[in-house]
Amino acid sequence: MTELLIREQVGTVALPVPPTRRERGVALWRFLLRRPGLVVACVLVVLVLIAAFAPTVLASGDPNAGIVADKLRAPSAAHPFGTDYLGRDVYTRVVHGASLSLQATVIAVAVALVAGGLIGLLAGFVGRWVDEVLMRIVDVLLSIPAILLSLALITALGYGTVKVAIAVGVASVASFARVMRAETLRIRRSTYVEAARSVGTRWYVSLWRHVLPNAAGPVLVLAVLEFGLAILAISSLSFLGYGAPPPASEWGSLIAEGRNYLATSWWLCALPGLTIAATVLSVNRISRALDGEWSRAR
Amino acid sequence: MIGYLARRTATAVAVLWAAYTVTFLVLYLLPGDPVTTMASGGLDGEPLDPAAIEALKARYGLDQPLIVQYGHRLGEVVRGDLGTSIQNGQDVRGAILDALPPTLQVALAGLVFAVLFGGGLALAATATRLRWLRQALMALPSLAVSLPVFWVGLMLVQVFAFGLHWLPSTGANGPAALVLPAITLGLPMGALIAQVLAKSMDTALHEAYVGTARAKGVGEGAIHLRHALRNAAIPALTVLGYVAGNLLAGTVVVETVFTRPGLGRLTVQAVGVQDIPLVQGIVIVASLVFVGVNLLVDLIYPVLDPRIAKGVPAAA
Amino acid sequence: MTARPRRVLLPALLTATALALAACGSGGAGGGSADAGPPRPGGTLRVAVGSDAGCVDPQQVGSNDTIYSVRQFVDSLTDQDPRTGDLKPWLATAWETAPDAKSYTFTLREGVTFSDGTPLDANAVKANFDRVPQLGARGTLPKGYLAGYAGTTVESPTRFTVSFAQPNVQFLQGTSTHSLGILSPASAAKSDDERCAGVVGSGPFTLRSYAQNASITLAKRPGYAWGSSLFAHEGEAYLDTVEFRIVPESGVRSGSLQSGEVDVIGSIGQQDEAPLTGAGAQLLARSNPGITFGIGFNVSKPVAGDQAVRQALSLALNRQEIVSAVFPSQTLPATSVLASTTPSYADQSAALAFDPERAKSILDAAGWVPGPDGVRAKAGQPLTLPISFANVAATNKPTLELIQQQAKVVGIDVQVQEYPISQTPGIQSSGDFSSFWFNITRADPDILRSSFSVAGANFYRVPETPLEPLLVGQAAEADPAERTELVGQAQRELIDQAFFVPVTELTTVLGVGASTHGVTFDASSRIQLHDAWKSDAA
Repeated sequence: MTELLIREQVGTVALPVPPTRRERGVALWRFLLRRPGLVVACVLVVLVLIAAFAPTVLASGDPNAGIVADKLRAPSAAHPFGTDYLGRDVYTRVVHGASLSLQATVIAVAVALVAGGLIGLLAGFVGRWVDEVLMRIVDVLLSIPAILLSLALITALGYGTVKVAIAVGVASVASFARVMRAETLRIRRSTYVEAARSVGTRWYVSLWRHVLPNAAGPVLVLAVLEFGLAILAISSLSFLGYGAPPPASEWGSLIAEGRNYLATSWWLCALPGLTIAATVLSVNRISRALDGEWSRAR
Repeated sequence: MIGYLARRTATAVAVLWAAYTVTFLVLYLLPGDPVTTMASGGLDGEPLDPAAIEALKARYGLDQPLIVQYGHRLGEVVRGDLGTSIQNGQDVRGAILDALPPTLQVALAGLVFAVLFGGGLALAATATRLRWLRQALMALPSLAVSLPVFWVGLMLVQVFAFGLHWLPSTGANGPAALVLPAITLGLPMGALIAQVLAKSMDTALHEAYVGTARAKGVGEGAIHLRHALRNAAIPALTVLGYVAGNLLAGTVVVETVFTRPGLGRLTVQAVGVQDIPLVQGIVIVASLVFVGVNLLVDLIYPVLDPRIAKGVPAAA
Repeated sequence: MTARPRRVLLPALLTATALALAACGSGGAGGGSADAGPPRPGGTLRVAVGSDAGCVDPQQVGSNDTIYSVRQFVDSLTDQDPRTGDLKPWLATAWETAPDAKSYTFTLREGVTFSDGTPLDANAVKANFDRVPQLGARGTLPKGYLAGYAGTTVESPTRFTVSFAQPNVQFLQGTSTHSLGILSPASAAKSDDERCAGVVGSGPFTLRSYAQNASITLAKRPGYAWGSSLFAHEGEAYLDTVEFRIVPESGVRSGSLQSGEVDVIGSIGQQDEAPLTGAGAQLLARSNPGITFGIGFNVSKPVAGDQAVRQALSLALNRQEIVSAVFPSQTLPATSVLASTTPSYADQSAALAFDPERAKSILDAAGWVPGPDGVRAKAGQPLTLPISFANVAATNKPTLELIQQQAKVVGIDVQVQEYPISQTPGIQSSGDFSSFWFNITRADPDILRSSFSVAGANFYRVPETPLEPLLVGQAAEADPAERTELVGQAQRELIDQAFFVPVTELTTVLGVGASTHGVTFDASSRIQLHDAWKSDAA
């Protein structure tokens, strides 16, 4: 009894004080400062996003018009990435190609996220035989290598940026389904959901209020990771020739074109390829940071 | 043990059947009339009148309800008949078998490189005491999987074939022509193996028996290679099926970049002319490889780690 | 394992950049200088070509890359002199043309056999010619040469007469081509597809193996003694084997020649010339006679059928810019439908000028109004012109991209559609195209009739116009001067109608390694390897 009284009177027990906005900002700043790689990654991704949505900000020329007399010039001040075989500025083409490549990537990830998420959600939520059937289907999708599945889809659908995007998206459904299902199961079995159910909360309310917000975290981390993988897959398929027809400057097509000039004009292959590599690296770096580095560092 | 084997084999067969069904659905149900697609790829290029289209439909059985077609074709596949290519009427199975040897060559070479590269990297990273070296080494796998495979191949060709003239840039003549394709193909898989192996090496090195061995005076090298690696390799085997399937898929890009004959180039051509039977045959073969290797791994697992067959949890 | 984050990005970027920068390479080592000396037998010639037509039957192949190989294992009745265009004896030692040009009598040389041992006699030739009219869509060329074929009369094993229903002046030149190369009767009798998989001929080489889209291997025919009178030496070929590899990318072919992996490459891009000569390779060039590179239209389709559109496109093209941007140095812009090396070529350069202003006014007058994005439209239909092409020549794709740019200026939206070369016969005969980028090589102006006559295959669906009687007339005209006059008028009419918009001439440029000698062009600018030899043959 006395203990209780004393405890109450001591007043503020050591309750954790939520950090103020300023403190959070300082912590973030310190976090970033120790990770220059992450900063570079973020800057790069922002640049790529600008290139995707507002390419004229980064490169004002016309990607499809070139001065023929200036063809195959090495990188210089006037043409930071050099010129191609028709005198077009490669840097401008890469920047404008970002919007094509990113458009495709967004579609691919969206397709995978929505389709995979729904399958996983259904499997985890409903359970029983639905879970079994859906997971077997997911296993089958995993047993067909992604690029071959995408190629099979392209055989049926035909060429073009959007079709390539869908093909890549469908091949990535499996991983989203798995993660979503694991999260759904985890949350469904947690105590508070059980409690909510026992008080009579409808299943769709539970889905909306409990499952989705909590599953969102890992799924979003996967989405960022898949973003990088999708960029690679889409550029591979457009390298093989299934993307948009000329003169579209998708990154993969740029490298395929530059291949003919490999012996003499290295910049046509090397620089678009570096752009792809840098973008994917940055996306992966950000994905790792989201995947708990922040919470681990605090 | 027999029960375990039977279960695994049954699962493998089921997955194969399901893979066939999925490819059938993808190729025959999606928009794009398969008849027109196949007809315009036509064998003799004659202008097609309605009668010829009907004949083609009958020949490929496309005028029957989908279920009948599915059952019919499934029966054929089970018997080993994968249909005929629409490009030249050649037997699909024959075309695939012809294209397989050079692909197997480059896939095996890629596997060897992947194991050597991945294994070497993981061992070096876990063996070193220098923190910066370990970090640099473990950064390599992440780098390797971020690079586009076709671009790596092209850069290798540019430097080693066109620049230094050490290795050939195309073709399948002789072992020298295998080097660059093997590196290109094996790099992403090697990165995966490195990551998995490094992780399991770490776990293994923290096990109690390692401490005992050290106390007994066993050298670091022997600990790493003889004790830890043996146990760490087992989890790494689980990715072997995935690796095998992806090596086969990787040959699509690698054979294009290095202009090698094989299954990958066959796939690219087949997709180019929308040769549905050939594409389907290739996907089935790839699934077969994936499932087969996984099954093999599943069968070898109990031999390597007897706890598994007996149902004891593998990780102590 | 600590939770310390791994610094991946910076070292990774640096490594990748270093890799890329290290990859500056120019050619370098070429073949060593070889002391030529007299030709020696033996050795393997490795040739890299860009595409595979999907067929090795010479009578069913129209694509240069594959013709290089199939030409070597069949012989023809006559041969054509590349310098003069005159016909010379090969399998036939003599021939007579009837005054009405409806029948031709040949005398065959004796002792010729196919590689399977059967004799090549008049009956064998008859079997070949009788089979030609039954060939499918791939056999357009020989069917055109034998237009109106009425039969072959065999008078003796070495003497036969070929008859036609109407005068067929171009037939004789046709007998010198690979398209009328003589196959063994057993081969000729097989189905079209079976023939495409392999045939038997009497040529200086035999077909040893064919792996579609990968390689074609030829082996020397021992005992060969009936070469063309134009060959540099008699008897067997020098080379033991010839290996054709299919390497689709021109940069890779060029690199392979520089590094000595192959001995001969076809279809060189402009950017390959300097590095190749720098590496010690020789460049052999010859302009291809026949129809130049250009755009053929499916006149039955909506946009392509509009003459104003076709004429405007022709005026919008800056042919000189295209040539200097993309093509190897000896290429000429097109100055007529026919290449300048074709017999009866007539200069039409006045009608093929670069005049975008006039193009715009033609389109305005035809009702094509410029839209907001620059592309014209008429009654809701945008001025979109798809051009189909096969990526066989290294120059095709860049040329079409440049044409896209130039056409955009006058408001035409050109869309470029690629397809595999093996689908050409199907696409042409089904009419599944709006316009088509192509050239046809033939050292005879009758190629105009094969391509644009209403009475022929008529892939371009051209209607009946004043062009037709000119085309038919020149095929029957025995007098050379008269024929040249008719062909000249046909060229003018064709350009006026704009059924075909010529762009540049095709100059075949081969890259040949320093240790390879004796590779010769025939009259159709294809290669003849009977006299080829290697100075580093083991």
